[in-house]
Amino acid sequence: MSTKDFVFEIRTEEIPAPALTPARLELARRLGDVLGEESLAPASVESYATPRRLAVVLRGLPERQADRFAEVLGPPESSAFKPDGTPSKAAEGFAKAQKVEVTELVVVDSPRGRTVAARKTIAGRDAAEVLAEVVPRVVNELTFPKTMRWGAGERALTFVRPVRGVLAVLDGRVVPFALFGVAAGDRTVGHRILSDGDFAVTGPDDYLEKLRGRFVEPDPETRRLRILEDARAKASAVGGSIEAHADLANTLADLVEWPGLVRGAYAPEFLELPEEVTVTAMRVHQKFLPVRGPSGLLPHFIAVMDNSEDRKGFIAKGSEWVLNARLADARFFFEDDVRHGLESRLPQLEKLTFQERLGSYRAKTERLRELSEAIAVRVGRADLVEAVRTAALLSKTDLTTQLVKEFTDLQGVMGGIYARRERHNDSVWKAIYDQYKPASASDDPPRKAAGAILSLADRFDSLAGLFRLGLVPTGSKDPYGLRRAALGVVSIAIGRNWRIDWRPVVRQAYGLYPADVKGSGEEETLAQLEGFFAERLRSLLERRGHSYDEISAVLNVGIWDFADAADRARALSEARRHMDFRSLILAFKRIRNILGAETPGEPNPALYREDAERALAADFLQARSAIEGFMTERHYREAMETIASIAPSLDRFFVEVLVNSPEEDLKRNRLALLASIRQEFTRLADFSEIVVEKEKTEKA
Amino acid sequence: MKHDAHYVESLSEKSQAFTLQRLIAELTAFWAGEGCLIEQGYDLPVGAGTMHPATFLKVLGPEPWRCAYVQPSRRPADGRYGENPFRLGKHLQLQVVLKPSPDDVQEIYLRSLERLGLVLAEHDVRFEEDNWESPTLGAWGVGWQVLMDGMEITQFTYFQQAGGIDLAPVSAEITYGLERIAMFLAKVDSIYDIRWNDALSYGAVRRRDEVEMSKYAFQVADVELAAWMLDRHEAEARRCLDAGLVLPAYEATLVCSHQFNLLDARGAVSATDRVGIIRRIRDLACACARAYVGGKEGQRSRLEPEPATV
Repeated sequence: MSTKDFVFEIRTEEIPAPALTPARLELARRLGDVLGEESLAPASVESYATPRRLAVVLRGLPERQADRFAEVLGPPESSAFKPDGTPSKAAEGFAKAQKVEVTELVVVDSPRGRTVAARKTIAGRDAAEVLAEVVPRVVNELTFPKTMRWGAGERALTFVRPVRGVLAVLDGRVVPFALFGVAAGDRTVGHRILSDGDFAVTGPDDYLEKLRGRFVEPDPETRRLRILEDARAKASAVGGSIEAHADLANTLADLVEWPGLVRGAYAPEFLELPEEVTVTAMRVHQKFLPVRGPSGLLPHFIAVMDNSEDRKGFIAKGSEWVLNARLADARFFFEDDVRHGLESRLPQLEKLTFQERLGSYRAKTERLRELSEAIAVRVGRADLVEAVRTAALLSKTDLTTQLVKEFTDLQGVMGGIYARRERHNDSVWKAIYDQYKPASASDDPPRKAAGAILSLADRFDSLAGLFRLGLVPTGSKDPYGLRRAALGVVSIAIGRNWRIDWRPVVRQAYGLYPADVKGSGEEETLAQLEGFFAERLRSLLERRGHSYDEISAVLNVGIWDFADAADRARALSEARRHMDFRSLILAFKRIRNILGAETPGEPNPALYREDAERALAADFLQARSAIEGFMTERHYREAMETIASIAPSLDRFFVEVLVNSPEEDLKRNRLALLASIRQEFTRLADFSEIVVEKEKTEKA
Repeated sequence: MKHDAHYVESLSEKSQAFTLQRLIAELTAFWAGEGCLIEQGYDLPVGAGTMHPATFLKVLGPEPWRCAYVQPSRRPADGRYGENPFRLGKHLQLQVVLKPSPDDVQEIYLRSLERLGLVLAEHDVRFEEDNWESPTLGAWGVGWQVLMDGMEITQFTYFQQAGGIDLAPVSAEITYGLERIAMFLAKVDSIYDIRWNDALSYGAVRRRDEVEMSKYAFQVADVELAAWMLDRHEAEARRCLDAGLVLPAYEATLVCSHQFNLLDARGAVSATDRVGIIRRIRDLACACARAYVGGKEGQRSRLEPEPATV
């Protein structure tokens, strides 16, 4: 069958940059999938996007669906024919309903017995017909963080931004459908300012070529590379380089249809501002790329414009003017901020809400002082108590500074910079500076122990308070960033190798809130947080390459010492690479099944009857004492290998000994022996959780 | 695109010579030409042009509406004693409301910039996501900030909800920050250096306002009076609503909002108070909006426009 090429574009007003790439990929993937289900899988799916359009190109699309053969069962043979062999009313009715001649009916063997059936061919539909149905459906099912209405404001018409044009061309012809009240056609437009009027499109290559001729580069990756390449050249022309900042380059590529670059300069006097401020003004506020020389920032920047050239120099000049204004503004704030010491700002925190029902940041500050101290002591850093109490006291005061109000990304960082100016020691100012780290799964943790303690205290405080109020993240909704907060806790604890049971810290965080805060009780909050932390721990361990069942095995025996759980997971993975755990795992599964919910007491050696029983008990005792030593030294891998070494004795036991002995006391004693083994040997991991090959095939 | 050299040159000169009052005159004339009624700024202190009844109430209900006006906007907490070259306690917004939002609303807006002498191909014009929300008005919208050569010159919003009511049709709201645009066009480094007209600078006209109003808002304003005003005007708004008087009720609500801003600048609003006061004002704004669209009287007076000549 011959194939066709299809180009689809939905043209909108400017789509927010963060929504663009997900929408582009989702549109292409869904369209490909749905056409596959419709037996119209294209040979290739290409996706394109600019702020003003989402586009998909399908090449090698079958021109129509293949015909399908179908057999529809009708009445039983017994009632389909009259005694004389002619078709009954039932058969005639069935033939009519199925739109076949009654003479075409056949008799087949079916699960219902001998049955009359109609055989027919269902004609495949043209690709155009299917596309006209499928494309609008897929577009309407696209998900965006926020959608809107426009114009008449009809409730049914919502999209990420107003839709202004639809292009759908299959093999040179328009596929007729409408989206958001806009009929599909074969015309689109080029760059908003650099090109005039609309133009017709005959197919994918014509579409791409004409766009490029009208100052629209439809491929985001091409735009990104062009930006990076040109930015490097422009930076090196002044003896500098641009900092690789992937997020910013991606965002810039998603903000323009035709990227051009200009280099500008700002007043060198601003290099005296803290570098964090200058860089944030450029990168976050203006989306400019800072230029760095061999010994620090250079007073230059690279700006991306949605224009081919800066023909009059207005764009560079305007960008310089705006940045200088921003930096002058920042300097004004900075100079004003340092006139008021951080500690003198504490009363202002009374007026800053942390959470409506949990009070102000002033109240949070007091809780953080207590909690930081407690954590410092628990992790064995009592030497840092004074530092963390001071850092906690000042930690939120920068929220009242003008710079942080304007440069919200610099919360914490500015507090640290101001604390350094106030001659607080390294531990204190760095703790304040780093308190929000790690900001994401890929961010670094706080540099120093005091910063790690403050970061933990802040996170535990928020988690305990918000979980108490029932403000638990659900689905994609996590307005307080609690998943990130908990993931940060887990990764700091593991990174620092602070091995403690964190439950008392959670309880203390809970207890530091006033007793009249309504919500869940302490036990319920703790239980909810256990599940929440377990999920974060799991995702962190998965990123480290541990398999799902190994993680389950480790987390089943306890999560609250996060660093220890991570060690156990690593030991388990390593031990399994060195030794065959299969028989041990199968033995433990067997023990689990035999014991069920029973908890027999201690085994009595006097009641051992069989050799295999005595041998197992002896091996167990020997292994147990060896393991004690390994456990104290935290040599978990050796401990696990020792456990695995009793697998042969266990196997022999199950072969030679009848656990369910008719003599009740012998039976109980055997169960007690197995229970002791399980209790002792699953302190590191619940081996029965691990999936082994044999089990998989048995299940299959 | 017009690239005639002489034309471009004369337009650039036009930009150089732009005064604030010329800017206002050009933009107002432009929007009048687009069928906008030219309203006047509201005569009560408001924080933004959106709070003017010509926006907040007129975006409700089904009737088409096109309107533009300059609204002096007061934000007491933003005052900087006339010392900061970029911040004002009272600034000027040129507010445009188009209901329903036209299909070519972005193109119309861009033409308004050309009216100011800007040749767009010589600049970088971008629409970057910036959604808007006003907790005190129970209102939110979706849109962009418009950047020209990196400078934010306009807020562009499709109103989705006002006074807690879903809007259909949807209005487009275009808010020009007049001082920003004037600074941009003249490339001056301080608001106070903007030329208001050929004779006077912005500083000559407004600096004393900024100094005195900042001092008042931050140091002098009577906290008890402001709190009392807020309480009394809340009660007054309720009384007016009970009497079926929507506009007086809404005016009383605006007074509450301004007194709240004053209390806030004065540092007299605690964390828990803030949430409560915002909710009280929002409740009033929502009640006004419901009364405005709901009352039969209101509907008749809105649906049957009075003849232009009496």
